[in-house]
Amino acid sequence: MTASDSFRSIEETVRATHGRPGLAYWLGLALAGGLAAFGGWAYSLIVRTGLHWTGLQRPGMWGNLITDFVFWVGIAHSGTLISAILYLFRARFRTAVYRVAEMMTVFAVMTAGLYPILHLGRPWFAYWLFPYPNQRELWMNFRSPLIWDVFAVSTYLIVSTVFLLVGVAPDAAALRGRATGWRRRLYSFLAFGWHGTDEQWRHYTRAYLFFAAFATPLVVSVHSVVSWDFAVSVLPGWHSTLFPPYFVAGAILSGVAMVITILVPLRRAFRLEDLITPRHLDMLARLVILTGLIVTYSYATEILLAAQEPASDPERSTFLYRMTGPYAPVFWTMIACNCGGPILLLSRRVRRSTPALLVICVAINVGMWLERFNIVVTSLSHDRLPFDWRVYVPTWVEWAVTFGAFGWFFFLFLVGLKLLPPVSIAELKEEAAHLAAHAGAEEASRGR
Amino acid sequence: MSDPSQRLLGRRAFLQVAGAAGAAAGCSPKAATERLVPWMVAPEDIIPGRPLFYRTACRECSAGCGVTARTREGRATKLEGNPEDPIGRGALCARGQAAIQSLYHPERFKGPLRRGAGGALAPVSWDEAEDALAKAIAAARAKGPGRIRLLTRLEPGSTGAVQRTFMQAAGARPEDRVVLEPLDPAPLRAASEALLGVAELPVVDLSAARTVVAFGADLVETWRSPVELARQLADGRGRLGAERRRLAWVGPRLALTGVSADRWIACRSGGERAVALGVLRGLLDPASGIEVAEEVRPLAPLVLRHAPAELAARAGVAWPGIERLARELAARRPSALLAPGPQSQAPDATALAAVVLLVNLALGNVGRTVRYGLDPGADAPSSAAEVRALVSALGAGEVDVLLLQHADPLGTLPAALGVREALARVPLVVSFALRPDPSTGAAHLVLPDHHALEAFEDLVPRRGVVALVQPVMAPLADTRQASQVLMEVGAKLTPPAPFPSTDPFDVVQARAAEHARAALGAAPPDLAPVHRAALQRGGYWFEPKAAPAPALRAAAAAPYLDLPPAPAPGARALALVVFPTPLRGDGRGADLPWLREVPDALSSVSWSPWLELSPATARRLGVRTGDVVAVATAAGRVEVPAYVSPGVRDDAAGLPLGPEALALLPAGDGAHLVWAGAPVTVTSTGKRTRLPLLEGSPYQHGRQLVPTVTAAAPSPPRPDLSATMYPEPVHPEHRWAMAIDLDRCTGCQACVVACHAENNVPVMGPDAAREGRYMGWLKVERYLGDEPGGALDVRLLLMLCQHCTNGPCEPVCPVYATYHTAEGLNTQIYNRCVGTRYCSNNCPYKVRTFNWRDARFERPLDLQLNPDVTVRSRGVMEKCTFCIQRIRYAENEARDEGRPLADGDVVTACAQTCPTRAIVFGDAKDPASRVSRLSRDGRAFRALEEVNARPAIAYLARVKEREP
Repeated sequence: MTASDSFRSIEETVRATHGRPGLAYWLGLALAGGLAAFGGWAYSLIVRTGLHWTGLQRPGMWGNLITDFVFWVGIAHSGTLISAILYLFRARFRTAVYRVAEMMTVFAVMTAGLYPILHLGRPWFAYWLFPYPNQRELWMNFRSPLIWDVFAVSTYLIVSTVFLLVGVAPDAAALRGRATGWRRRLYSFLAFGWHGTDEQWRHYTRAYLFFAAFATPLVVSVHSVVSWDFAVSVLPGWHSTLFPPYFVAGAILSGVAMVITILVPLRRAFRLEDLITPRHLDMLARLVILTGLIVTYSYATEILLAAQEPASDPERSTFLYRMTGPYAPVFWTMIACNCGGPILLLSRRVRRSTPALLVICVAINVGMWLERFNIVVTSLSHDRLPFDWRVYVPTWVEWAVTFGAFGWFFFLFLVGLKLLPPVSIAELKEEAAHLAAHAGAEEASRGR
Repeated sequence: MSDPSQRLLGRRAFLQVAGAAGAAAGCSPKAATERLVPWMVAPEDIIPGRPLFYRTACRECSAGCGVTARTREGRATKLEGNPEDPIGRGALCARGQAAIQSLYHPERFKGPLRRGAGGALAPVSWDEAEDALAKAIAAARAKGPGRIRLLTRLEPGSTGAVQRTFMQAAGARPEDRVVLEPLDPAPLRAASEALLGVAELPVVDLSAARTVVAFGADLVETWRSPVELARQLADGRGRLGAERRRLAWVGPRLALTGVSADRWIACRSGGERAVALGVLRGLLDPASGIEVAEEVRPLAPLVLRHAPAELAARAGVAWPGIERLARELAARRPSALLAPGPQSQAPDATALAAVVLLVNLALGNVGRTVRYGLDPGADAPSSAAEVRALVSALGAGEVDVLLLQHADPLGTLPAALGVREALARVPLVVSFALRPDPSTGAAHLVLPDHHALEAFEDLVPRRGVVALVQPVMAPLADTRQASQVLMEVGAKLTPPAPFPSTDPFDVVQARAAEHARAALGAAPPDLAPVHRAALQRGGYWFEPKAAPAPALRAAAAAPYLDLPPAPAPGARALALVVFPTPLRGDGRGADLPWLREVPDALSSVSWSPWLELSPATARRLGVRTGDVVAVATAAGRVEVPAYVSPGVRDDAAGLPLGPEALALLPAGDGAHLVWAGAPVTVTSTGKRTRLPLLEGSPYQHGRQLVPTVTAAAPSPPRPDLSATMYPEPVHPEHRWAMAIDLDRCTGCQACVVACHAENNVPVMGPDAAREGRYMGWLKVERYLGDEPGGALDVRLLLMLCQHCTNGPCEPVCPVYATYHTAEGLNTQIYNRCVGTRYCSNNCPYKVRTFNWRDARFERPLDLQLNPDVTVRSRGVMEKCTFCIQRIRYAENEARDEGRPLADGDVVTACAQTCPTRAIVFGDAKDPASRVSRLSRDGRAFRALEEVNARPAIAYLARVKEREP
């Protein structure tokens, strides 16, 4: 197979994903859209008459919605990790998967970004959290971690969107040629006048490297900032210096698990098995193992530190409460999923079995959601004054908003799949050319 | 220029449209209705934006505390005590604070009503109503005496005088006027009559007592004059060692008064008398060598015949505890022993009262702490026998007209008395109630009375105190003061009743001469200025002439010194202990929103009745808190949720006074109502309910949140917080701070209700309470002990915003909605708050409340809203502001008067109304201020000090003297 053959086959395979959608796609889109609409309607109840629809009460003023926020910010992390950090480290296996990861990142940030607004008592004043000049000379409080959040999440949204679009430009140009109608206009726009000239390639690779370098610290910083929402408080169970690295590792764990969760059905549905190979999945699974072990270590550290305290210490009490109180099922499910799952993956046989990998990654996603629930909710419901202790139970409205967010995310993702190339054509071609050149050189040397 | 017709809007067209639009706007119906009427002649005294204060008196119970009503723009907004009044001394209890809600109650009758043929109450005019009543009275009088009856609350003043004159004119006998005070300690009156020959209640003065023993007398909740007694008790508190006033509580259930007690003698229900006899025995025992009053000495043989072990067995407690109490009382004179209260008012409560009186006599307390001769004799509650006689007369059809004046027999008497059936036999029941109560359901004519804040009357709660009740605002509805109605109806009789006028104001004026003469010792030459001054002050107060000390009739005491009955062996039934709570009192006014919303201090339950069961009983029955249990006595059966509390004996069950308790209580056949001791069977129904509870865990879990001190360890342990990297925050002028003396705090909740009133804190209802969304800014946190199942060690912690110097809530707010002011206040800016709720999460004290939904202030309750305080909308956080509006008011007053703020100028609503003065507010920058001095006290500690939030509230630890 020559390089041009393989170029064509890559382009064909990718273009095939943009074909007329089948019934399954429409059903999936309708399901996701319906779920999102239902969540939106449930949320409108809160906007119309107040947060009494939730199960929140004193002392548990945060619940499902903040859990969702942290969860989705976490999901967003692996995209940048895979596309930027692994790019800088020249990890080849990223090529096939990074576009899906990047799309996931952007849509996950778009989902996460809703929550800080959704959970406000007066969401119509959400813009007060942004610095804007106003005649009342009111400013925001830069000491508040919530303001750091606003900056972290909005920065992350901008950078990850730009990074995605920069990567898409050469592919859009490739797709532009065969496209007609509105698609042609869309790809013309997304190609940003790309013609594949040498100069453009030179600028492009420079720019891509720059953005990769720019996005890399965000992987660490954004979720660290999110962790500060909790760590800078004085609440037992939140107030911990361990939180930033622990949150980053957890975010990558959940993000990579989500990438695998999406890739496994995707490569099947769109016949991308040739491009996204078991080797790619295996490499991602190893990333899951690494971050899973970091997370396990963090859990152990937290528990051991708390266990050293005297019996009357609120910190220790909170950890005992997590393990034995009404939220114990949440805690132990979380341990089983987030510690047990990655450990199972240590076995090559499990890792190489696509169904097992999928099941474990879904379990890790559930476990990571429960981890955030565990952190947010159990700490609040078991504060320093026992007289205030109360158990928070989410209401159907909060569940509707939670699942509605999944609907919203998958709706965006399904639409995105049909509009953007789910794997990077340009980079695959580059790799194919690279391989072909290697093969040619080898043949030449053998022939000699 | 192009062709004009081509233009979109030409000059003519424009004028046409503009003219038409202008005309249409002029024709709109809206334009005609809005009319501003300038205040050409402003009402006298009213300055918009400035409060105007009136002195009056509280009518929520028979104590007669003075009231200062704050009015704004012609409407009352807040009730506070009258600092000059000798009873309340500026304080009001929770019910007194809530009285303003009965003024603005949405269900208040708007005018007179008559029950029509269809059985529904329909409006009538006052003339018609009074004519109908006059006709009925005349017809009933013609049939002979006893056909007209009046059931009234205690009216020791002008209203009572009007009632008596009216009844006389209507041809009634004196006994046809029955005075209903369900919680009156009638056995004490009976015992006083039997032993001393004076049928009156003594006035208790605890200010000299070194030890107080309450045999079920709930002086913090409802007994006699709770504000006064709690204050007198607390005035001897807050100090260490022997000088501290001690309190012992005797009863099967630890009442709120018992929480303030240093010792709980947990006798069985009905065992109080055995404890009292045991104390008397301990005093009279010649071996003890205790000096007792000679007049009691002859009774010694009658007392000493009871063996200590026998008495202890009858009491259900160990003998040494009783003996120790006797020794302590002998050593710490004078003391005061109080009995009975509802929780000890068993069938033999007269004997209990008699024995306790003998102990008081033996210790020389009578005349010092238990003072006879102060009963004004103006009015006295009828005995239960008289009430029963009335009910049977009603039931026998012997009564044609029954007048109910602030007496609610259906809502305050045991259902077993058969009042409902009896009322059905009366052709005309006339109610003067302000709003629907159970008895108005049986009324044929409703003649709504003025609220006390709209009425003129005087009250003589005891000799030397004349409280003047005057209107603080114009009546809200077409109501008429009951006295006026009686006088007007009396004028229609033939011959007319001898009333000089029909105006209650004239009655008070006419009686003023008598009061002034008593107060001044001689008739004043000109009464008008004297009475005017008294009205401004709130009453006439003077030292009454001492009455001769009554002498004991020793022979009469003998029957009371028999051994109390032994508990039936092997009885499985529990003893029902019905207790009144400080919020609901005897049941009148218990439907006021604040009183239902504020959780009970002991159980933390709101909006619901509950049955207190001990953990052992609950285990035996297989019930947990929140399980619905069926409670049955011989009189009835009700279902209530259980509340498991270690504060009740295993052989007793506590039930708050209310409709459920009334359904269970026996009718009784003695001279007093029986609240305690009815055998009750409790069974699980298998149903469960979400009990509206404020508490999470009632245990401290080893955290030492509420430390106590002893003489040996006079200071609570405090962490060393000297290490800091941050500069001290600067408070240039003031640093507002508070000190709360937990040795004085009784948990009576007056402050909580006052806070609701002052700060427009909304009432959210039972569902919100179940969901943990109670909005109160102030809460009484009550811990039962250290660990579940451990020793009972009740501690109260009044929790409100601590106004921390390093407030953890402040840095986390993204929009500066909460911040630290230069005066040290942690303020909350409602219109800047976006509702992230992070401040609450980061508050270690969890004192912030969130508006989960828009609060409703049902008309006309909204008229009570304090115009100086914003009503918060949904989506924003709120919390205690240290009554910033009162701070600003005091600052402005001082500035107007050109003087600096003095200590005591600023008083928060909670501190203002605290009966025990446990709360002190002031400027911590002023080292001489009371709050500064208290903060430096050895007992001072700060809540959760290790968090280093540096709260502005200093708590002074409760003193717990351990028994040797």
